[in-house]
Amino acid sequence: MTGVIGNRAARVGGVEIVTGNARYVGDLTFPDMLTGALLYPDLSPARILRIDATEARRLPGVVAVLTHADVPGLNRIAYSDVEDQPLLVSEFAQYQGDAIAAVAALDEASARAALAAIEVDLELLEGVFDPVEAMRPGARRVWPDRSNVHEHLVIERGDVEAGFATADVIIEGEYTTQLIEQAFLEPEGAVATLDADGAVVVYASCQSPHRDRRQIAVALGIPENRVRVITPYVGGAFGGKDEVHVQIHAALLAQATGRPVRLIRSREESIRTHVKRHPIRVRHKLGATNDGRITAIQVEAIGDTGPYVNAGEEVMSVLAATASGPYNIPAARIDAFTVLTHNPICGAMRGFGIPQGTFAGERQLDKLSRKLGIDPLELRLLNGLGTGTVLPTGAIIREGRPMKACLEGAADNSGWRERDDTQREPAPHLRRGWGLAATIFTVGFGRNVPDSAGVNLEMIPDGTAILRTGAADMGQGAHTALAQIAAEELGIELGAVRVVKPDTERTPDAGPASASRTTFVSGNATRRAAAVIRESLLEAAATLTGLPEGELHLGGGYVHATGERVTTVAEAAAAAKNANLPLHADGFYAMEFPEKYREGDYPYQHQVFTFGTQVARVLVDIETGRVTVEELTLAQDAGRVINPDGAMGQLEGGAAMGLGYALIEELKVVGGRTVNNSLESYLIPTSLDLPPMSVGLVEIPEPMAPFGAKGIGEATLTPTAPAIANAVADAVGASIDDLPLSPERVLAALEGGSS
Amino acid sequence: MDEFEFLVNGVAHIVEADPRRTLLSVLREDLGLTGAKEGCGQGDCGSCVVVMDGLAVNSCLVYAGQAEGADIVTVEGLAQGDELHPLQKEFVDRWAFQCGFCTPGMLMTAYAFLSENPRPEAEQVRKAIAGNLCRCTNYRNIVEAVTAAAMKVSRS
Repeated sequence: MTGVIGNRAARVGGVEIVTGNARYVGDLTFPDMLTGALLYPDLSPARILRIDATEARRLPGVVAVLTHADVPGLNRIAYSDVEDQPLLVSEFAQYQGDAIAAVAALDEASARAALAAIEVDLELLEGVFDPVEAMRPGARRVWPDRSNVHEHLVIERGDVEAGFATADVIIEGEYTTQLIEQAFLEPEGAVATLDADGAVVVYASCQSPHRDRRQIAVALGIPENRVRVITPYVGGAFGGKDEVHVQIHAALLAQATGRPVRLIRSREESIRTHVKRHPIRVRHKLGATNDGRITAIQVEAIGDTGPYVNAGEEVMSVLAATASGPYNIPAARIDAFTVLTHNPICGAMRGFGIPQGTFAGERQLDKLSRKLGIDPLELRLLNGLGTGTVLPTGAIIREGRPMKACLEGAADNSGWRERDDTQREPAPHLRRGWGLAATIFTVGFGRNVPDSAGVNLEMIPDGTAILRTGAADMGQGAHTALAQIAAEELGIELGAVRVVKPDTERTPDAGPASASRTTFVSGNATRRAAAVIRESLLEAAATLTGLPEGELHLGGGYVHATGERVTTVAEAAAAAKNANLPLHADGFYAMEFPEKYREGDYPYQHQVFTFGTQVARVLVDIETGRVTVEELTLAQDAGRVINPDGAMGQLEGGAAMGLGYALIEELKVVGGRTVNNSLESYLIPTSLDLPPMSVGLVEIPEPMAPFGAKGIGEATLTPTAPAIANAVADAVGASIDDLPLSPERVLAALEGGSS
Repeated sequence: MDEFEFLVNGVAHIVEADPRRTLLSVLREDLGLTGAKEGCGQGDCGSCVVVMDGLAVNSCLVYAGQAEGADIVTVEGLAQGDELHPLQKEFVDRWAFQCGFCTPGMLMTAYAFLSENPRPEAEQVRKAIAGNLCRCTNYRNIVEAVTAAAMKVSRS
């Protein structure tokens, strides 16, 4: 074995990043390039009475001003089946992020002047801002011809009524989570140019280059093979670049002007426009016996998705599918509502519905623990799922051991069982508390959703290789992990693998880099491609050395037999080439569902899961209400770690984001419009805001995964907020059921009554 | 349009520009030095930090006119040829970034800081980089990288 998997390895692209040579989309320039900009409404929701760009078009330096009438193809952003968001609005400005016009000009100043010169008459409409109100019969509608309840989905299993009837205790709670912002450091952007033959080339900071290609083609009204999407370095995404942002607008402007156009959002525009994490109200009812066994749950979740559905339905689906948490619960009824409002649009953000559901579920378990006098850890061990547990979706847990291993790991590493009650009041104004939360997370899109990836791998007779992947690396390290998988299988050093970034003309479709699926799906595709080449190398090496193929192993650039180096991989590759054996291969993998679909199963069920537990130790200042997290302990099921540095980075970074969610982050919305549209007013954790973290990994390989490795980047932020909330409740003996745990809420809770 | 002269990474540049444009814009658009990034354009995130006369500055808040006569170092000036600066080496070796967008600013803040504080404690590093936002990491590996680089810088 070469030991590329699971060992430290240089980050692909690392040197480019530290030297400033890494090119992000805003760093690209082309001759005659124009600056693009978009006009957003000053009022919303509003009816559009008039758009007049005559003056703007006459201004010096302005090359094009486009409105809805100038979209040659479909004037829609089509996330999935629901094509409800116009690229350029004509009738309504439903929310603050709707684009009214697109401008291309010689420079930034001319572009801004053009935006200011576009005359727009808007009639402010009464808005729908409260999703619960919006669901009531007779409520004002967001769209004249659509119900405000876009989707009501139900997942039910077991006899819920009987479950509650046999319960000794019932815990009921209502939980709310807030609107938050991905706050990737690189605002969204795209540069569109035209090829010599008029084909459109779009460089985009994005997560889904092949899906973007389709949407661009449809909007421009041209065949998809005349659109090429290239993903350069991406400065963070966290779900916020999963959907198209300005790619299509940039392409429209390039098509209209015949010149390259660079369109980069300002930070304020970025916060105003792109999809956020859904604010969700969860009502949770839980029944249990006196010895702590959960008999039934009933969960109702209402998600505010804004005026356009985007991924709202999918987010609520994932919330519903995981609402029973990592527990064995015999009866469950889950209702999830995707509700339209005039608030900012919500969609994919790291966690995709699971953080909101987990916050409610894990607060509930803590309340049960308090009520029954059973330690939170013991209660979770008692109810924790195992291999063979059937989830409310009908999914059967094929490998359940990591769930309790994470609980035990986090408990051991945090000293949970040795919590020192004498330390609960370290100063007259301070209270210390401990909190624990567990999570289940899904890998991939789920059954009945296309979920495949291709790669192309090429071995060169000098012993190096090229891996062409359509999977975007937004910083999560996917390209390093895929290169490691290729290196391991081909028996070469990681440094010998060159990764070609997503380019729809050169790299196969790998689907979106989302749903914690890239390592799993693209990793398996990489293994399959490598297997073809590996066979050629071994066959050629056998001929070269005269040794039986079965005795040969590839590793570290050499071919080994009984522990001795017998030749190099490069020589084997050269011999394979001469023997007309294939040295390049496409690998394709589609998500598999080993368990058959049974009547009553949730059609979008997942069958691969990761588990995790976090423990928070907090100090609460009862005079100011300020919560300080002293330490976070993470235990995460990874299946198997491909790259320890990458895994550590994802785990720590995810928990950091989870801490921001728990304590400080909130996009404030007044009348459907966000007010803190800067990084000065929307605060994310700085280097002074984060506690020491202790990270433990549970590695029980997942049989279907490449080398057993599952996606971990989203699971890691899911338990953080409930662990902290549980710790605060433990510290002050009062319950806070709304995020974030702001000083005001803590003080209110201390004064009696919940938040 | 005015004419400005300043040193960037040891090379004298004469730039003709509107004096109200930002130093960041001039570096990126006129000089092609795209290492410094624009993350917010308001001095909140630190992605655009360069070192000007020894001080780490948010170049999105510096007018081109204010840079007249200044000695500026950007991330492109850290390495000596192919030889990475110890900060760069430690950032790579310790995976002190994920998406890398904040990295050029982070490196330049650290570079200015180390020139004043050659042997810092971790806590001092944490304070020094508090104006540089990173959304991917929890800053641990960044602090470790800066602290480790300090040992190498002060030794050499």
